[in-house]
Amino acid sequence: MSEEVKSIGIDSTPRLMVGSRLHPTENLLLVPEGALQLSGPAKDILAMVDGKRTVSVIVDELLAQYAGAERHEIQQDVLALLGRMQQRGVIRG
Amino acid sequence: MEMTPTEYSLTRPSSLIAEVTHRCPLHCLYCSNPIELKRSDNELATEDWVRVFKQAAELGVLHLHLTGGEPLARPDLAQLIASGRAAGLYVNMITSGIGLTEKRLAELVEAGLEHIQLSFQDVEEASANHIAGTRAHAHKLALIPIIRKFPIALTLNLVIHRQNIDRLESFIQMAEQFAPERLEIAHVQYYGWALKNRELLMPTQDQVERSVVIVEAAKERLKGRIKLESVFPDYFGSYPKACVGGWGRQILLIDPIGQALPCHAAAVIPEMRFDTVRERSLAWIWRESAAFNRFRGDAWMSETCKTCPRKERDFGGCRCQAFQLTGDANAIDSVCTLSPDHTLMAQLRTKISEPLPIWRG
Ligand SMILES: C[S@@+](CC[C@H](N)C(=O)[O-])C[C@H]1O[C@@H](n2cnc3c(N)ncnc32)[C@H](O)[C@@H]1O
Ligand code: SF4
Ligand code: SF4
Repeated sequence: MSEEVKSIGIDSTPRLMVGSRLHPTENLLLVPEGALQLSGPAKDILAMVDGKRTVSVIVDELLAQYAGAERHEIQQDVLALLGRMQQRGVIRG
Repeated sequence: MEMTPTEYSLTRPSSLIAEVTHRCPLHCLYCSNPIELKRSDNELATEDWVRVFKQAAELGVLHLHLTGGEPLARPDLAQLIASGRAAGLYVNMITSGIGLTEKRLAELVEAGLEHIQLSFQDVEEASANHIAGTRAHAHKLALIPIIRKFPIALTLNLVIHRQNIDRLESFIQMAEQFAPERLEIAHVQYYGWALKNRELLMPTQDQVERSVVIVEAAKERLKGRIKLESVFPDYFGSYPKACVGGWGRQILLIDPIGQALPCHAAAVIPEMRFDTVRERSLAWIWRESAAFNRFRGDAWMSETCKTCPRKERDFGGCRCQAFQLTGDANAIDSVCTLSPDHTLMAQLRTKISEPLPIWRG
């Protein structure tokens, strides 16, 4: 990856790429020339990626939603998902 | 695996390409629009398109691409965008930018436009205007910072060919300053006016090889910031591409008068009968239209393709090109090394001359 792209950490406030949005009903992220299939909690996570919430706030809210889950596991999942999406250019840090 | 047309039609089209008009203020030498343009007095009305967009969303289409011709030539464009969004589609507009001002763009974004694809002819002004047959370049350049004021995605598109390919690197440098979400570098495809101008547009082998190196380096450098997509030139390949993602598999194109085509060039194939959205629903067309079923599955294929494992990937390649080059729409795509006509490609590649340009009317 190019050096100018900073990787996402717990204090980052990631946002979706301009011109991308979640499909209202299906598990898809619509991007300018296509759609990314989302699985598991990815849609719930991305719904909170708004350029305002930090990753740790997103994790807090997920903890409230998914009772019984471990914080560090959720955090790991969120960072992994955002990292993958950033690689594809659809999430900006 | 044997797949019958009906099984194919169960997959949903993902994109609707709406050619809302053939009118265009530019005259690009490479324009893929048909030579016989559809007359504007026969264009679909606003309410026809509104119905079509609704049916498309019901059929599972995700993206609506408003194109033409020049979509901005339609005074009802904002309404078309709004109805596409209301139906639930992702709305993109492919444009030369002629007819676009900040005020008009504000209306279109307000209506729900999400992505704009602006096409360039070259990085060098005189050449760009020559290729477009119109002085359009300066306006396009001035538009980019205006578009960037709005929260929509931007793709910059450049169709490359012998006349501009040597400036590809400077084009990419120019484009990346504006941080578009996408950059699309497309080798010219030889349909419509491009076919008429093929000898003028055909790059040399050397140019193609250099362009691949430039594109690959830029892809790596821009990764995570700008998505660079490029289409490798067919004439220089050894195996065909899955043209339009496979005939009748992903794309539905509606031309300005409402005919439904599986690909923008499909009308070059003789004895094609296109159904129209004035008479049929999109769902019916997707399932039943003879034009869509004609090259689905493998029944139409030559034995070579039928028994070839690559058919699952390329679906037999491009039918329009096969017809244009061999006179037989069922023939193996001549891009394929297994085609008896493959040597044609080498002949077309090496026949470099400087004929006179023919601009789109
Ligand atoms: C036919 S144009 C119509 C929209 C608008 N007038 C424009 O030029 O952007 C649609 C897209 O196809 C591209 N295009 C036109 N002719 C082509 C060709 N022969 N091969 C590849 N792309 C082509 C254009 O650059 C544009 O991005
Ligand atoms: S490619 Fe050029 S001539 Fe063709 S529709 Fe677009 S702007 Fe018009
Ligand atoms: S033989 Fe037919 S299916 Fe096989 S690669 Fe060539 S065109 Fe594709």
